[in-house]
Amino acid sequence: MKWFRSIVAQERTTARLTGVLAVTILTLAITFVLPPVADSQLAGGAAISIVILGLSWLVGWSGQISLGNSGFMAVGAYATGIWAVHHGSTPLIFTFFLATVIGAISGLIIAIPSTRLSGPYLAGMTLAFSAAISPIAQNYTSVTGGEGGLFFNTLTTPHWFLGLFSGQNATINANAQWTADLAVVVAGVAFFFMANLFHSHTGRAMRLVRDNDVAAELVGINLPRTRTVAFVVSAAFAGLGGSVYVLINATVNPSAFPLTLSITLLTLMVLGGIGTLSGAVIGGIIYAFSTNLISHLNSLTGINPTSNLGANMQGIIFGVLLILTMLFAPHGIAGLGRRLRFFVKSVRRVASVSTGE
Amino acid sequence: MMSTFLASPIMHNIFAGLAQGVIYSLVALSLVIIWQSTHVLNFAQGAMAMFASYIGMTEIDRGLNYWFCLVVSLAVGFLFGGLTERILIRPLYGKPEINAIVVTVGFLGVIEAVAQAIWTSTTRNIATPLSQIYFHDQGRVVLLSPFVLFQFGLALGIMALVAVLFRFTNLGLKLRASALAPEVARLLGVRVNRMLTIGWMLSAGVGVVAAVIVASGSFGLYPSDMDGILIAGFIAAVVGGLDSPVGAVIGGLLIGIAEQFVLAYWSADLASLGGLIILVVALMIRPQGIFAKSVGRRV
Repeated sequence: MKWFRSIVAQERTTARLTGVLAVTILTLAITFVLPPVADSQLAGGAAISIVILGLSWLVGWSGQISLGNSGFMAVGAYATGIWAVHHGSTPLIFTFFLATVIGAISGLIIAIPSTRLSGPYLAGMTLAFSAAISPIAQNYTSVTGGEGGLFFNTLTTPHWFLGLFSGQNATINANAQWTADLAVVVAGVAFFFMANLFHSHTGRAMRLVRDNDVAAELVGINLPRTRTVAFVVSAAFAGLGGSVYVLINATVNPSAFPLTLSITLLTLMVLGGIGTLSGAVIGGIIYAFSTNLISHLNSLTGINPTSNLGANMQGIIFGVLLILTMLFAPHGIAGLGRRLRFFVKSVRRVASVSTGE
Repeated sequence: MMSTFLASPIMHNIFAGLAQGVIYSLVALSLVIIWQSTHVLNFAQGAMAMFASYIGMTEIDRGLNYWFCLVVSLAVGFLFGGLTERILIRPLYGKPEINAIVVTVGFLGVIEAVAQAIWTSTTRNIATPLSQIYFHDQGRVVLLSPFVLFQFGLALGIMALVAVLFRFTNLGLKLRASALAPEVARLLGVRVNRMLTIGWMLSAGVGVVAAVIVASGSFGLYPSDMDGILIAGFIAAVVGGLDSPVGAVIGGLLIGIAEQFVLAYWSADLASLGGLIILVVALMIRPQGIFAKSVGRRV
């Protein structure tokens, strides 16, 4: 019980619950208006936002870095896929739970040798881990389906939901929207949990470890254990996100988790804003509609999307954005918003002083 | 007697492992040079080397010879390394180390995407004037060819050059001084910033040699090819100790041989895990690296 109390925030839990609920309900409402294609993209964005949030927690709150979260994502994804192929009829909540736990365990295995490392060492170690997933999946073909991967179709739209739709393409619309709604709800639960964790005993300890590990040790915080917990939570979120990600696509294969995915995750996290809930939401939205944005950009500049340049546009833009954000706006879009609010407030204050109120 | 030994399965694996290992050693060495001077782990190191050697390859396409291509690649590598330090890395000194990691990872993404946009993602090969046909001895294959011997020689030569430069030249002394005690070096008249740029240039040059060797080999080089090599080189550097050039070189050879043995006796798919296993074991036993000096933490 003491352990449980250490990861739940003591105060303002209702306020956080209302905040996360409001955003979740708003997003659910939006899915009713969006066309099916956009709904599917939104579902992918919701799944990725869970992974981004886990990475954001690790980098922003514990000050550690991981280039291996695409690997943890793959672990959750394969756990989901293998389970779905053999036991397709179990309730989804169990699948999510399983993927989260297995993700967390893989995080623990990596954390044990890694928490002695810091910064670049840790980044390289986790990078080596994520690079090992694809060879393992290709080697144990009988379990993982090898190069071709596994196929499953576990997401069935319930009848009552189908009943809400009528007219042409009712089933297609209903299926796309059910997937999106499901992903959004899972993301909502994950975000609520993380919002609590940020302000819990563990979250505060984490920040102290990040800012001053010597002071943290002096007040009795166990450094290796705190760092390990940060890693495990991050990996659990990646596992859950990976699970949602492959359930949407109904397939899992090794090529879904390349090194570039790690770079994409990092870009989205930095762009959105490290260590914030809103940053992870922004990152998810950018991911969801990045293909649209890129094709729009291609048509604006007249680049043929099937040409070499057009096909690599996303890689180039994401990389450049990552570098520029890190150099010039390291707090990302969420940070810009905060700075803007601060700016407006200070302008008002100056105005009120000068008018002598 | 000797010849049957050279053609034995175990020597096959050792030769193949060493051929791969020298590539890892070069990459590890290039990472260590940067690490010592600027405490940045450059994740774009492999991609930069790939890009430089691709530019060298376009010279071969124009009908110029192999040695010229090597020189062009090296020159591009020096320039690339220096510019990267001046433009991307210099603003990051004194910032949290995560910033430098993120920037170099982003740079890796940009370089690979640009290379794929220009040259597509297919494998390219540099034709070498040296034969790639393995030696035979009394009808049995010895896994060495003139090209492999040249590869060993080139790698050893580069390593020796780096060692001589750092140990016995005035420039090397300045480089070491800037890395060890930048403030003192600056007071004594060393232009520390210039030394950091030179360190990055040297490092990029060493990386380019690795990429050219890969591109000249029978499997060629594709734009994201250096990712796996960078990871192996990184593992080698960590196992050896990121502040020990000798450790990095030995680490690279070890990883190359380990991968070859996994490939031969376990599974070809899992070959790249050989290095990861060594890394985990090494970290458990001696986290600071096998050849590194232990450093105390100052409170």
